[in-house]
Amino acid sequence: MNKRGKIGFYIFLIIFVFLVMFPFIWVFLTSIKPVNEIFSSFKWFTSNPSLSSYEAALTNRPLLRYMLNSFVVSILTTLLALVFASFTAYAVTRLPIKGKGLILGIVLAASMFPQIAIISPMFNLVTGLGLRNSYLGLIIPYITISLPLAIWILSTFFQKIPYELEESAKLDGASPFQTFRKIIFPLATPGIFTTGILVFIAAWNEYLFALTINSEDSWRTVPVGISMYQSEFSVPWGDISAATVIVTIPIVILVLIFQRRIVSGLTSGSVKE
Amino acid sequence: MKLSKYLLPILLLIGLAFVLIACSDSSSEDETADQNGSGSGDEEEVTIVYARGVDTTPATEALIKAFEEKHPNINVKEQEMPADTGQSHDQYVTAFSSQSTEIDVFNADVIWPAEFAQANYALELDRFIEKDGINMEDYFPGTVQAGKFDGKQWAMPQYTDAGILYYRTDIVDEPPKTWDDLIEQANNLKGEKGTEFGYLMQAAQYEGLITNAIEFIASYGGEVVNENNEVVVDSPETVKALEKMKEVVGSDFVPQNILNFQEIETENAWIEGKSVFARNWPYLMSSSNDEERSAISGNVEMTTMPEGDAGSASALGGWMTMINRYSEHPEAAWEFVKFISGPEGQKISAVEGGRAPTIEALYDDPEIQQLNSLFGNPDFREVLQTAVPRPVTPIYPEISDIMQIEISKVLTGDQNPQQAATNMQTKMEAAMNE
Amino acid sequence: MKRKKRSFQLNEKQLGYAMVLPSLILVFVVVLWPVAQSFWNSLFDYRLNDPNRSELMLSANIDLERYVDNHFYINSQLEDLASSVEGEAAATITDIKEKINGYHQELVEDEETKQKVEKVDELIMNYQPVTDSDLKYQKIDNGFADEYRDALMSYQDKLTGLASSVSDETVSENINQSADLLGATGETILKSNFIGLKNYGKYLQDTRMWKSLWNTTFFTVVTVALELVLGVCIALLINRAFKGRGLIRASVLIPWAIPTAVAAMMWGFLYDGQSGIVAHYLASLNLIPGESWLLSTSNGGMFSIILADVWKTTPYMALLILAGLQTIPSSLYEASGVDGANKWQQFWKITLPLLKSSILVALLFRTLDAFRVFDLIYVLTGGGPANATESISVYAYKTLFAQQNFGEGSVLSVIVFLCVALISFIYVKLIGSDLFAGRTK
Repeated sequence: MNKRGKIGFYIFLIIFVFLVMFPFIWVFLTSIKPVNEIFSSFKWFTSNPSLSSYEAALTNRPLLRYMLNSFVVSILTTLLALVFASFTAYAVTRLPIKGKGLILGIVLAASMFPQIAIISPMFNLVTGLGLRNSYLGLIIPYITISLPLAIWILSTFFQKIPYELEESAKLDGASPFQTFRKIIFPLATPGIFTTGILVFIAAWNEYLFALTINSEDSWRTVPVGISMYQSEFSVPWGDISAATVIVTIPIVILVLIFQRRIVSGLTSGSVKE
Repeated sequence: MKLSKYLLPILLLIGLAFVLIACSDSSSEDETADQNGSGSGDEEEVTIVYARGVDTTPATEALIKAFEEKHPNINVKEQEMPADTGQSHDQYVTAFSSQSTEIDVFNADVIWPAEFAQANYALELDRFIEKDGINMEDYFPGTVQAGKFDGKQWAMPQYTDAGILYYRTDIVDEPPKTWDDLIEQANNLKGEKGTEFGYLMQAAQYEGLITNAIEFIASYGGEVVNENNEVVVDSPETVKALEKMKEVVGSDFVPQNILNFQEIETENAWIEGKSVFARNWPYLMSSSNDEERSAISGNVEMTTMPEGDAGSASALGGWMTMINRYSEHPEAAWEFVKFISGPEGQKISAVEGGRAPTIEALYDDPEIQQLNSLFGNPDFREVLQTAVPRPVTPIYPEISDIMQIEISKVLTGDQNPQQAATNMQTKMEAAMNE
Repeated sequence: MKRKKRSFQLNEKQLGYAMVLPSLILVFVVVLWPVAQSFWNSLFDYRLNDPNRSELMLSANIDLERYVDNHFYINSQLEDLASSVEGEAAATITDIKEKINGYHQELVEDEETKQKVEKVDELIMNYQPVTDSDLKYQKIDNGFADEYRDALMSYQDKLTGLASSVSDETVSENINQSADLLGATGETILKSNFIGLKNYGKYLQDTRMWKSLWNTTFFTVVTVALELVLGVCIALLINRAFKGRGLIRASVLIPWAIPTAVAAMMWGFLYDGQSGIVAHYLASLNLIPGESWLLSTSNGGMFSIILADVWKTTPYMALLILAGLQTIPSSLYEASGVDGANKWQQFWKITLPLLKSSILVALLFRTLDAFRVFDLIYVLTGGGPANATESISVYAYKTLFAQQNFGEGSVLSVIVFLCVALISFIYVKLIGSDLFAGRTK
């Protein structure tokens, strides 16, 4: 690429990212405006920026506690869902079991029903297990909701790994489980990380189950917690903007760390033919 | 074998999960132990759970503190629900329909008692009221009526709301008497002192649209459901009222996006000084005079809603307190309900949270009169005295849904008022008879 | 050697089933069981806010809590009445009383019923609610139920007739009160509320259902198409090697990391006709007719939710496609580069065909999610203005939770399920051959 093309490319990139980020940038700018300026003008920058919204966001409600809850729930959901899903995907794509189509179909059927319709039975189930106001009460439904997507994505990945690799491992005397762990799993790293990020953010974003199942403030997750800033007739936009910024930053850092994993693996591995 | 090696991380994970269950379990066990450890006896310590929408004022905390001081054997735990009335309704439905005992006392919007009573979610309070000799006539009649269904009292009034007309004292000389006055003044005065609009109201498709519509309908003498539980919405009065409502919404003195206006939008535009008149609940008075946020502090006064052919009408809002039918501590729950709906509790709500009491005598209390310019205003008392409840029926959510859709269609111009009245009549009758 | 291989095969199979099992158990218990319940609910006239229909009843039932409570007063009230009137009227009342007692005896002839009645009676005497629904409802014979119920209703009519013929006002009022009591007792004998497919018939003729189905379909087609195109572009872009791509990848993902409930609130703020910056800019660029167009008109409402959804979920699509890109060996590009193919040709000849299964899986899940859209619409527009943005999930939610009509709400959920199942079926047909190609044995 020549130099000019490069500059053009970066200019395009900046405009593109700006457009994508605009709502978030605006939320950030709102969060540092004094309360009486939020609605009154379309001015981008306030002349007297203040951090009072941040202070309010952190003191009015236990935002850090919500973040801790969300992290614990989302991370455990991600890890467990990845374990279950990769097992299933491996069995379905590589092992000689019957009814593969049926298994994938049943799993898919789980994400065909509107979630709002399973809230009541789910509430009863979680109450019956005594898991209201706990992490596990959210983790179990979240894993289940994310399984269909995880299983299907991982299946497409596992399916693309050449069978010859597995055969040769088998000839070397590896057990199927070893093949899974030593050959398939590492080769599918981009798929695993992509799925992981998808599951993590889905769990991070979920609202209705979290609202219904964990009714105590100390067990609430971020989306429910942020909606609790509202009072009956008013929405404190300053606080909500600040809270949104605070909770988004760690996610961005996480993605920054893990994004490299999405685009390595297969291309750099031994699959090259 | 080697398998165990691979399983180690998984086992660790599962172990971690169990630790978490154990943690969460033990904490909830402690609480249930607390709750179950006591029967209904008076001397034993009891913990009750009081659920209510998020309270951003210190009122709830103060109420609980004052109550626990008076009743050392009863502990009250607050459980916050979403502030949005629709969302909290749905949360209560989920909990109560599975006969959950978690919540003992809860705040109910004035439109819920009949529905919750019919659905067997609430405990009737007549026995308690009689036992403790509470005089329901101390309360504003509309608020008591809202808690009554099938001849029984299911809810105690806690605080009240009613639609009122706000106007700018620096622009308006004589507040409008009738809707036509309002239209004329809004038209003429729009633009003065930097205002952009003449009038603000709530016309989005949501529950608030019903309160605005009820005010129009009642001020023209119309009714939705009469005292015999018959649908009577298709009347010339309703049609006339809807025509007036459409005239206001379609005029150029309201914001162009009035169809998206809820209380929040109204408040934002109003406190920035963008309008001459606004219809809203009493809370707007204190935000109008909040110097930090408001540009019109000190220039706001209230009056009764404009009159139609049949006088002025304000829609009744506010919150009631009810007891979960499956509460394990009904006696303790009642003590709490009695306290927060009694004069002492209502005074705390008024002082700490600025909420309008439902006990008329409290408005004679000089301490309460001083709180804000509303509570001392005889007009305001009159509004509360005559506020019109929305239809009291166990299928209110359906009635509301029908009205929201049909009236919204009038305001967007998809149908005329007569069609709306006819449609509402048929659909409501069908819903009632189903 | 042969034997050894066989046992290896068996192990492999067992392992396969063992590996599938945990997922299947979770899916069955947590999702499919509730789904089955919803199907079952949809066959009943099942409303939580109506005590006569708040249970699923395949045959007639009696609500013992209310029945026992009412029955307690019947005897004494009717006796008082009989003594307060004279002659024929008194005889009628006594007759009614005896007949009711007869029915009651017949009811408690059943040992199970009798025990339950006693237990319920005890609870009521202590002012305790009957919380156990097994105790509260007792199955009774359909014929007997009809007979008893009809009898009570006819006695109610008889007493009302009697009341109007009595001249003494207090007596007449008392008779009316007893008549109401008999009517209310009749109401506690519940007919079966199993109605089969009637609910479905109702919704097939419901214009609101069709409108919301259309809204949902329109929303799904437009958003998924836009997200696909944008997603492929973004994936290709962030798959390139350039300085700072990590930052770009992270920032492109931001919209998706903001919880939907919060994002919807945020868009409401940006779209606001008075102070919304997006509304302001779009209007000043003349892209929309005016600031207020977005949330207060039908088309504007639809546009608003589509824009917000595309903004929020395109990263999801991009991420899935980006992952798919990783499975394409770079040697293929190198080879075609040698053959002199340009980038455009490479895209059509190599990238797209090899991305097919990734794209189809991404499309499948995006379509499923878009068709069930709820949070975004519920928070941003609530279905308005004038129901122009109501999706079928929002309609189902309102029916289920606001109106507590679990029978009809379940029907709507099942309709969503059927539509989604149909869509998935088509996708799976397209993917299927691809996903298991080359490895079936």
